[in-house]
This record gives sequence, structure tokens and C-alpha cells, in this order.
Amino acid sequence: MSAKQKRKILLVLRFLPYGSSIAKAAIDVALASAVFDQEVDLLFIGDGVLQLLPDQDGREVGSKSLGRLLSSLPLYDIDHVYADAEAISRFNLDPTNMLLEVRMLSELQIHNLMLQYDHLLGL
Amino acid sequence: MTAMILHMLNASPSSTAFRDCVKVMQAGDAIVLMGGGIYAMLEGTEAFAALTGRGVKINVLAADAKAAGVVVPPGVEDIDMDGLVLLTEQFSRQLAWY
Repeated sequence: MSAKQKRKILLVLRFLPYGSSIAKAAIDVALASAVFDQEVDLLFIGDGVLQLLPDQDGREVGSKSLGRLLSSLPLYDIDHVYADAEAISRFNLDPTNMLLEVRMLSELQIHNLMLQYDHLLGL
Repeated sequence: MTAMILHMLNASPSSTAFRDCVKVMQAGDAIVLMGGGIYAMLEGTEAFAALTGRGVKINVLAADAKAAGVVVPPGVEDIDMDGLVLLTEQFSRQLAWY
């Protein structure tokens, strides 16, 4: 594969939105990849699905609302978003009321999805 | 070269990283235990049971196992850095769990 060809990247987001800078860093990676015209899709698994909760407001904890950043991603043509169905059910979340429109995947579907990408980046 | 996934686990069996890794891996994948991931091969633990019998080849960084004082059980391959490089050549995609 030549360097000029697009490589498909799957970001595997599995951290809580606040408490560490990892979730924020993941969004920065997504934005940077999109700006440089790389094809990047998102998969939220485990704790990562909690980033998708609507109505986040970090002002009183002195933090930017990660949710606002996340909901801006479709503007950058990042619109393939997948989520771990088991985690969503475990946290009793409503998949129809999330910051981004997500496709729910089973464990086997998650693995099959990963096989479609050149690079997997967990963060 | 296989199209399957090489999982690099560097987190304790109590971590969400371990839980997520075990959830995602499928037969044909391989895993390398390193750092805190070493403790996932403690025999008789739930963690070890979750890794075995899945059709996933289990490898461990020998130096890390030695440092942790954890015996490498049968069925687990101990590898050095050269072995790790070889594995990365065999798998077209890798995923780090930390």
C-alpha cells in the first residue's frame, strides 16, 4: 500500500470522559486525523460509552464539556460511530438518546468491525 | 501474516482494560501479557480462565513474568523482545490495552 493511499483508522474509546485526559486526547486525535483527511471511525466500548451521555456540563468542575466536543465530530465528516451494546445495557443507557448517532454492536460484531481497519488505536 | 488481532495487555486483571480486552478477543487472535497484564496468567484465577480455551494464543514477556515472580503456566508461551517483534510481524493489526 502506498503512503498516499488512505489508511482506515478505528479509534477504540474506552475511558471515562472526566478524571483523566485520555478521553479528551482521543477526540483531539479524531479531529487531527479528520483535518489531515484520514478516514477515522469511532468505537466506544466499556466505560467509554459513558462519554456519549447527553446533557454533559463540565463548567462547575472546571472542565470543558467533552460532550460538546464529541457532538461536533460529524461536522468533520466523522460519522461512523459504533458502540458496545453490552456496556450500554450494563449501564442502562438509552441508545436512542446519545450525543452521537451510534450503531450498537455485539462482541463478535466489534471484532469483525476491527478487522476492517488498517490501524486500531485504543484510547 | 494473519488478518487477526494481536492484543497487547498491560493492565491488571481487575482493570476495565482487561475486561474490555477479554470481551473483544476472538479465536485466531493472540495476546501478549506484559507489565500488569502478567497477573492474568495466575493459575486458578477467573482471569486466567477467561483467557484460556478461547482459541487465543497466549504469550508473555518472560522478563516481566520473572520480575513479578509469576510462574508461566503450561499453554502459555514465554517470549523475549525478539519474539515480540516476530509476533508483530505476523499480525497485520495490533491493539494496546493499558
